[in-house]
Amino acid sequence: MQPDLTSYLLVGAVLFVCGVVCMATKRNGIGVLMGVELVLNGANVNFVAFSKYTALGLDGQVFSLFVIVLAAAEAAVALAIALNFYNNHLTIDVDRANKLKG
Amino acid sequence: MSILFTIFALAACLGAVAVVISQSMARMAFWLVVSLGSTAGLFFLADADFVAAAQLLIYVGGTLVLLVFGVMLTASGPYLKIQTSPAETVVAGLIGLLFLFMVFATVSGVDWEGTKTKMLAENGQSTPTEKFDDQSEGDTLRPLGLALLGVRPDSPNSPGYLLPFEIASVHLLVVLIGAAYLARAKRRGDGS
Amino acid sequence: MVGETLKFWLMIAWLLPLAGFAVEIFFGFYSKNPRGSKAAAWMAVACIGIGFLCSANALRIWGNANEWCVLESHDTHGEHAEGEDGHGEEAHEHKAADENSHDEHAVSATDHDAEKTGQTAYSGEIYRLATFGSLTIAMDYYIDSLTLVMFTMVTFIATCIHLFAIGYMSDELVDDYVDHFAHTADGKHVHRPGRFYRFFAFLSLFCFAMLGLVLAGNIFQVFIFWELVGICSFLLIGFYTERKSASNAANKAFIMNRIGDFGFLIGLMVLWTFFGTFRFGDTAQDNVVTEQGLFSMVHRDAESHDFMTDADGEVLITDPSGHVLKDEAGKARTIPYFLLVIAGLGVFAGCVGKSAQFPLQTWLPDAMEGPTPVSALVHSATMVAAGVYLAGRFFPMFAHEVLLTIAYTGCITLFIAATIAVVATDIKKVLAYSTISQLGYMMLGIGVFGWAAGLFHLITHAFFKSLMFLCSGSVIHGCHHEQEMPKMGGLLKKMPITALTMLIGVFAISGFPMLFGLHFSGFHSKDAIVASALAFVIANPIHYLLFVIPLLTAGITAFYMFRLWFFTFWGAPRDQHVHDHAHESPWIMAAPLVILAVPAWLCAYGGESGFLYGMLTGDEPAHLATGVTAAGKIVLPSHHEIHQVHGDAGVLALLAAFSGALIAYILYGTTLVNVEAMKKQMSIVHGFLTNKWHFDDLYDALFMRPAHKVAAFCAWIDKTIFDTILHGLAKAMIVIANWDRMFDEKFVDGFVNLVGDATQSVGSSLKVVQTGKLRQYVMFIVLGVVALFAVVFSTFPG
Repeated sequence: MQPDLTSYLLVGAVLFVCGVVCMATKRNGIGVLMGVELVLNGANVNFVAFSKYTALGLDGQVFSLFVIVLAAAEAAVALAIALNFYNNHLTIDVDRANKLKG
Repeated sequence: MSILFTIFALAACLGAVAVVISQSMARMAFWLVVSLGSTAGLFFLADADFVAAAQLLIYVGGTLVLLVFGVMLTASGPYLKIQTSPAETVVAGLIGLLFLFMVFATVSGVDWEGTKTKMLAENGQSTPTEKFDDQSEGDTLRPLGLALLGVRPDSPNSPGYLLPFEIASVHLLVVLIGAAYLARAKRRGDGS
Repeated sequence: MVGETLKFWLMIAWLLPLAGFAVEIFFGFYSKNPRGSKAAAWMAVACIGIGFLCSANALRIWGNANEWCVLESHDTHGEHAEGEDGHGEEAHEHKAADENSHDEHAVSATDHDAEKTGQTAYSGEIYRLATFGSLTIAMDYYIDSLTLVMFTMVTFIATCIHLFAIGYMSDELVDDYVDHFAHTADGKHVHRPGRFYRFFAFLSLFCFAMLGLVLAGNIFQVFIFWELVGICSFLLIGFYTERKSASNAANKAFIMNRIGDFGFLIGLMVLWTFFGTFRFGDTAQDNVVTEQGLFSMVHRDAESHDFMTDADGEVLITDPSGHVLKDEAGKARTIPYFLLVIAGLGVFAGCVGKSAQFPLQTWLPDAMEGPTPVSALVHSATMVAAGVYLAGRFFPMFAHEVLLTIAYTGCITLFIAATIAVVATDIKKVLAYSTISQLGYMMLGIGVFGWAAGLFHLITHAFFKSLMFLCSGSVIHGCHHEQEMPKMGGLLKKMPITALTMLIGVFAISGFPMLFGLHFSGFHSKDAIVASALAFVIANPIHYLLFVIPLLTAGITAFYMFRLWFFTFWGAPRDQHVHDHAHESPWIMAAPLVILAVPAWLCAYGGESGFLYGMLTGDEPAHLATGVTAAGKIVLPSHHEIHQVHGDAGVLALLAAFSGALIAYILYGTTLVNVEAMKKQMSIVHGFLTNKWHFDDLYDALFMRPAHKVAAFCAWIDKTIFDTILHGLAKAMIVIANWDRMFDEKFVDGFVNLVGDATQSVGSSLKVVQTGKLRQYVMFIVLGVVALFAVVFSTFPG
């Protein structure tokens, strides 16, 4: 069968859900970051798919490019935060970061 | 086409699942490479050659290296494992499945062709046909560049993306400085 | 412009004492030796002395401007004042008069009358204080011959008294003054800083107020300065404020005056309501009257010289030329006759208080608690005479009834005061009662239409009474503050200057005629009054008492004045201690006595054809000359009628005076009669008189005790009724406040606390959600999205 819009969207959905689950289960901060990357990728897949199969045209690709740029930026900042956290707590366990607990 | 799509799709999905399942950070990083690389392949298949290249360059080449650096810098042992409780895993998995089901249901429930026709009819404009034409198929570099400079030959009514582009460039600069500031070397207990 | 020039000089004389007061009272503290310095005294003397020169100059200017015509109009009887000098302060005026008198002699009487219609009175505005609607409060001036004479008299006497006071008050020139008459609670003498400079500051303030009163051009301004002299009198009577008697006397004087001033205020209200102005005279510019004064608003008709009235008997209000003024509605403006009477009586009530007339006379003897110079200046010569002055100044507005009231008030006063003076033993008290009696004479003179006689006596009395007070001050000073005459006697040799000057005063007040060919001033003035009274009684026989009593009192006056003199200076010393220590006063006190003795003797030189009388009558109200013969009313005699009986009256008065003096000599100058035995025989009369006719007891019973009763009753009401109500209210307020507090605590606070508690509990229950676990948040987000989708899809299926 030829790939159509739905199949792309399904792949994106799987990536997205995997990312979310990864965020929800990984206690390692870097793992959480990886989950975020997956989620963003899932979104990107959707954008590209819409670009190809709908009237969205080139705009979808431009958006996915921005997403990629922002993801890179986000990764850089998040990693800096993670390193800072590690420096202060000697661990990368996000469950230890509960200072804002109500 | 369909075979390539199937392969890339499966690799992306399975890689993502493997990222979730694997406990070692190194493996997670590896599977993430697999997943993101496969996604890049999917982009190629969707005629988005520049995006796919950017995906490979930035994600696989940049972000992931960054993450691996992070793994190495924060690893207190060679094989760091921070266990998650099984209950949490199960709950997360169930919720993930629930979400997946919902998205599947939504995606398969929408009449994509009808929506597309309706959109075109409402806009009432001569948008390019749904695909790129044969000559330009897979050659999105020039239109994207023009779009980021505010010129849209394919869609005259669109204002282009010059301003977001500029904002993104400033944003990146800010992030660069901010990240460097946050992650600067400092001794613990020093000062604050 | 003569008016402007006069105003200029009189303003200087008026305001200099004020400047002096300001400097003395404020800068007294800053000199090196404030308590011991005489600088304040000399400054006060300089201020009032320059004031005297200015006044005299103003008098000369006025006379020159009017060609001294006032002196000519009276030469129909008696000799004209030829160039006599040695006349005290009026010497240079006389010279000026003589220069003009030569060509004046040739002018006929009709020409004089024509000249007399020329402007001799000047009035205008000095400074406008405020304008409230149609009410204008302003500092005005009204200058006529009476003003000028008063100015000269006041400043001259004040200068002499200031000089005298420098000597008299010199024991105040210490930092620690021991007041032997004031005691502290433990029986010791009061020690206090000397108040020399303060005394002179008060004197200066008084001079300012008194001159302002004389210069005043409207009745309201008179009232202002009236009160100002009142407060100065208060301050000076209470100068030895540590003495209970002095502070009481000050209060008494002030409160008694308040009673009269209340009437004064009523009079002012009536006047303003109907006339709409307080001014005396018209303000004219280029012979056009810009603002009309009170005097030109009532006109007298040509025949009876009574007020012009309309058909209903209401007095018409006219413009200066006699045309009736109309109000907005076109009706003639009138004032009901009885209200005009009330206005006159009200103003006279003020005069009664100020001049210590019956029934408000009791404050003046008590006022002798003040230092003797104060008694001389304030309580004999000037302030108490201000009442007479105002009665004279306001004379054109007085109706018949008012004049009769004035006459009887004066008559009663002069008799009562004279009888009390007969038995008084305090030398100053005798003089005080004498002052009251003489003021009564003045009032009587004005009341019986002897306007000029009353004011004549005012001036002459001011001179000889201030002289006698200064003499008494000299005696008191020489006898070391001994005021009781029974402890004196035989002081003639010890203090000859004082005794002789006092004798001149005694002769003057008794109305004795010749000494070395020169009549005493009192002879002329008292004769004039008695003559006016006689003419009045001849015209209205029913009021015969108005002549008999003054005549009788003229004898009593001579009696008690000679009694005083014999008591003090004649015979053998009664108290050897006092006599041994008595001494003549220093030159600064003796000199004023000598200076004052001259005008006290000679100021009335020439009698009714003399300079002083001529000056006084230069601006007398026009209807005086003709008399008033209104139908059904009291007849007021004309000048001519008065003059006709002058001789008879003079003889009678002289007889009375001689007999009084003779009796005094027999009783006190010789040892023929045992005075003590006589006193015992007539103890009832004597007691009645020494208790001052029981006036103080009467007022005590009439006003003080009822007032105390009412006060006690009010206090009782306050304590029992109002306090109970107030306490009840307070308790009710407490109960209400408690309720209010309960409401606040239970409901308002409860509500607020409830909101706070609810917020807090909600927060604490919601904070559980904030687990701080990053991964849980992700789960929540996912669940949220799922739930949202579920809701959206279940709501919009399709």
